[in-house]
Amino acid sequence: MIELQDLRLSYNHHRVLDGINFKAHFYEKIAILGESGEGKTTILKLLLCLARPDGGRIIIDGRDITFLRESELLDSRKKFSIVFQDGALFDSLDVKENVAFCMREFSTLSEDEIENRTREFLRRVGIEEAIHLMPDELSGGMQRRAAIARSLAACEPEMMLYDEPTSGLDPITADNICNLINELSAGTPPGRRGLIIVTHDVEAAVRVAERFLYLKDGKIVFDGSLDALTHAGDPGLRKFIKGLLPR
Amino acid sequence: MRPQRLVIELQNFYELSQRSFLGVFRRPFYVRDIIEQMDYAGAGSFFIVFLVSLFIGMALSLQISTELSSLGLKMYTGKIVGISIIREIGPVAIALSFAGRVGSGMASEIGSMVLGHQVDMLRVFGIDPIKKLVIPRVLSSTIMLPLLTIIGDAVSLFGGYYISVFVSHQSGSFYWSQIRAIMGFQNIFSGIAKPFIFGFVIACISCYMGLATRGGARGLRQATTTAVVLSTIMIIITDFLLTRILFFVLGMQA
Repeated sequence: MIELQDLRLSYNHHRVLDGINFKAHFYEKIAILGESGEGKTTILKLLLCLARPDGGRIIIDGRDITFLRESELLDSRKKFSIVFQDGALFDSLDVKENVAFCMREFSTLSEDEIENRTREFLRRVGIEEAIHLMPDELSGGMQRRAAIARSLAACEPEMMLYDEPTSGLDPITADNICNLINELSAGTPPGRRGLIIVTHDVEAAVRVAERFLYLKDGKIVFDGSLDALTHAGDPGLRKFIKGLLPR
Repeated sequence: MRPQRLVIELQNFYELSQRSFLGVFRRPFYVRDIIEQMDYAGAGSFFIVFLVSLFIGMALSLQISTELSSLGLKMYTGKIVGISIIREIGPVAIALSFAGRVGSGMASEIGSMVLGHQVDMLRVFGIDPIKKLVIPRVLSSTIMLPLLTIIGDAVSLFGGYYISVFVSHQSGSFYWSQIRAIMGFQNIFSGIAKPFIFGFVIACISCYMGLATRGGARGLRQATTTAVVLSTIMIIITDFLLTRILFFVLGMQA
């Protein structure tokens, strides 16, 4: 269970988050919507304690991790994996080395086993042919696929966190990424892997998520299902999801 | 910068330096990264160190022999050039070149990793960025700068020899006999001890600035510039302090 209690955060005297409260199970498929600069990515970073809040609490499976030291965060971080907007691949390593990174760091697998597993993960995300390419030789969609493969190879997370996974992609590639996201979180709750997707691409959010949060002025002003979303009364939100509404 | 912010920055820098020093002796050891960094910092800096040292040696020899010849003491050129190079100019000039090339590289590489969320990914995977990124750079810098200084000093002395013999028309064997005479423990220790400290200081400052990078391309530019500027200032200040300390430790008189 994930619980965010009254999270507050400011950057350079600008209040980014102003009392965020929400609870979620690890098997839930959640989309966090909002305009640019509303603190959507910050929420993902806070879940992983990559940023620390000014106030409030982050509770993962009943444990308050808000101000734990880096060395004490390993258990809670293992429950998640994150795919950043740009993939965040290690740019000095090729795709194979990126995907094999954690296997090399933490396992005692032989080179052959690492190679086989790496190929398997890349096949799963559909870019096995890119195994020897460097990150800057990949397209945006391929970078994100490679990042997903690396996240899966690192651990089998209970929940995937996606930061704008379809941003800057053409509609076909974005569609493929959504399919991949759905594949990785397939199944029925509570046995499936959950996800939190942060995006301003409403279509992508609707394709992969079942619960929707809308962030405005540092607060969650909407939290509900797709049905509730399309019937929401907030004018800002209605403008944001204009494409979903019946004409 | 506000005083409160400055105190926090200094505290963070102290913590990073301390962890970098102590982390050298603790697992895990990223041997591959250390070798890679040693290649970048050492072999990669050879050419610039060679050029800088050669021309400093030649310029120094030219200046000193010109001044000494007006006093009729031209034969002491080798001695003065040797002492200046080994004790002071060699370590400082090579450290400054090293800060410009390697320090800026460290700051920009780590800074771009920060901006590209690669450092965040390391933390998500449970890998300490200080262990993985900072310690290999600190270690390589601390080992390679003294080695480069030894090479640079030798090249400078050869530069000085060239000017003394072929421009100032002095005896080459006398030049080398003067150099041999000053190769005592005090001078050599004084010249070799400094680069260890300079290497550590440059790497710590550069890695700290890299990890503190915020705000896109402009932030990266600022971090890289600050890393080089601070390294330069700290090399000069540390050089003075070390000279004082070494004079005291080695019992030398001012």
